[in-house]
Amino acid sequence: MEKAIIALAAALSIGLTAIATSLAQRAIGSAGVGALAEKPELVGSIIILVAIPETLVILGFAVAAIMLMN
Amino acid sequence: MIVEMSRVEIIGLKKHLEQLIPFLHTSGYIQIDDIREIPDVILQPFRPTVKMKEEREEIDLLIANINGLVESFSANHNMTNEPDVRTNDLTFYGIKNNVADITAKVQYFNMRKKTLQEELISHSKYIEILKVISPFIPESSKKSGNATIRALIHSSQTRAMALLANQLKLLTHGKFEMITAKVGEETKAVIGIFPLELVSQVEGFMKNEKVAKLVLPEEYTYLSTDEALQHIEKKVELNHEELDKIDESLQRMATKWLPLLKIWQLICKDKVDENEAFLKIGETEFTFTIFGWIPKEDIMILRDVLRKEFSEEVSLNEIDIPKELRSRIPVKTRNPKAVEPFEHFVKMRATPSYSDIDPSILVAVFMPIFFGMMAGDVGYGIVMLMIALLIGKKVKEGLMADIMKFLRLGAIWTIVFGVLFGEYFGDLGEKLDIKPLWLSRSEPDSIFPLLTMAIAVGVGHIMFGLLIGAWNAFVHKSRSHLLERIGMFVGILGLLFLVGSLISFLPSGFSILGWIVFAIGLIAVSVSMGTTGIFLGPIEFVGLIGSILSYLRIAALGLASVYLAKVANDLGGMVSSAVVGVLIAVIIHTLNIIMGILSPTIQSLRLQYVEFFRRFYKGGHSPFMPFKKRVTTKLKL
Repeated sequence: MEKAIIALAAALSIGLTAIATSLAQRAIGSAGVGALAEKPELVGSIIILVAIPETLVILGFAVAAIMLMN
Repeated sequence: MIVEMSRVEIIGLKKHLEQLIPFLHTSGYIQIDDIREIPDVILQPFRPTVKMKEEREEIDLLIANINGLVESFSANHNMTNEPDVRTNDLTFYGIKNNVADITAKVQYFNMRKKTLQEELISHSKYIEILKVISPFIPESSKKSGNATIRALIHSSQTRAMALLANQLKLLTHGKFEMITAKVGEETKAVIGIFPLELVSQVEGFMKNEKVAKLVLPEEYTYLSTDEALQHIEKKVELNHEELDKIDESLQRMATKWLPLLKIWQLICKDKVDENEAFLKIGETEFTFTIFGWIPKEDIMILRDVLRKEFSEEVSLNEIDIPKELRSRIPVKTRNPKAVEPFEHFVKMRATPSYSDIDPSILVAVFMPIFFGMMAGDVGYGIVMLMIALLIGKKVKEGLMADIMKFLRLGAIWTIVFGVLFGEYFGDLGEKLDIKPLWLSRSEPDSIFPLLTMAIAVGVGHIMFGLLIGAWNAFVHKSRSHLLERIGMFVGILGLLFLVGSLISFLPSGFSILGWIVFAIGLIAVSVSMGTTGIFLGPIEFVGLIGSILSYLRIAALGLASVYLAKVANDLGGMVSSAVVGVLIAVIIHTLNIIMGILSPTIQSLRLQYVEFFRRFYKGGHSPFMPFKKRVTTKLKL
């Protein structure tokens, strides 16, 4: 039972952060594509902006990994 | 590497100006500054002559014509190769005459095409109507002495038409014969046959009754329906043939002229640049002055060639860079050929600042390694290398070519890490008893060392970035930046001592030392930020830890890749049919390889852009754009 709860917690940790990341990237990505249509030279900045929310899911992954390791 | 730039002025007698500008344009050493945008310059900007203005108008018109032709030809011709821009036997009038000839031909063909297409549309309608009414035409219409009249009526007019037919019968003493046929949802065709001598009377009567006569083109008016149909069908066939011939002619013209037109386009743009260069210079009654930027190493070369060409009447002097122009120094980078794609990746983020250290070489080292760490599979690496070599052979320029060059290096590192992780298309190596040199990522016990590796890479990469940033700040005597970067470096060092003693890697005494070093670093960061540092310092530090944790993506992506590969092998193995099993495995592995190319590329680029560059890279200067010809030709006006 305890193992199942840990597994569920790990899944939630990575799943919820993945949802949060995707929501953020959806907004940033669509705005970024719009900006790129106007100014293609912004591609570097847009990559950064789109990639920033990914830290959320990476942290979720770290938490999940720690839970599973213990 | 960022090339050292110098600010120069070229002063000379105005009589040489018309020769000097094309000379500078051909030599391509100097970036000319617009005198109207330079602060504190008392020189008057150059006033173009009437002849120059006329020339400009002429070129603008020519460019518009060329653009029109290029657009027209590009629509039905795919030019696979870029034009050879080394052509050098063209004159402006040669181009102008050629463009005028081509334009006239294209205009004629386009007008003829339009006429033929319009004819086709109208003729197809006639064919449609004539085909419908043709079977209903009575034999009497073919008798000599009889005339036929064709009309189109709305269905609602049928009754009125019957009444009209009765009246016409009376008028022609019973010699009028009428047939109706449906040609559309609401349209009917009416055919009337009557003696030839009554044509004017019948036509007049129908006109009075406002019945729309079906008017065929003049050449078919006096033909019978069948004959008219045959002639129109023949005409349609001829029109199609002529249209095909016109298309072939246009295609031939496009093949012949499109590459040349593209070269002429560039030549004209060069001429416009030359024309505009005059407007950027300053003048007095007898002299001119040009301000600009040039790589320091090229000053002597340009000075010598100017002396040879214009004796002592045009001179080039190196001048001090005014304080207000330091932020506008154009940046020229020079790197080994292998590093060039990474230079483009750096410029995608921002052109380096003149005071920056060009990070292209660092990106060229770290980006493929990070890619390899994430993908880490011998089989995948070989496939990626083959893809990179194949596409790289076909695509020589642009972003795709840069990505392929990067992928080549990334694939090699993928193979190296694949050997370390013992991955050959996932766990196939394991099944064949090939042991990993370091650790197997598919083992549950390897998660901790994998995470440690990712964090260690992050710490190393960020500390290296901080050292570069500190050196940069030291060179530019920026005390606050130096303190901030050193503080962060020391803070991370303190954290390392703390973590080391916590996991018993270091003696417990390092715990106190760690706290002290960490506190020193934090205080240094806070002090560097001034009065708000007490709040911003800790926040900045938390951000720094976040940046280090961000490197966990190296482990995360690696794990995702290895587990997907494992799924591919396991699923393939579950199926009883070997062929189906292999097919399933190949499909999933292909998907994994595609994701393995895309995701690690973006993620390793992001680690450079966001985590690494932030420690030392400013960027944002404009690139060095010398006044240089696109096509090496002598264009005479």
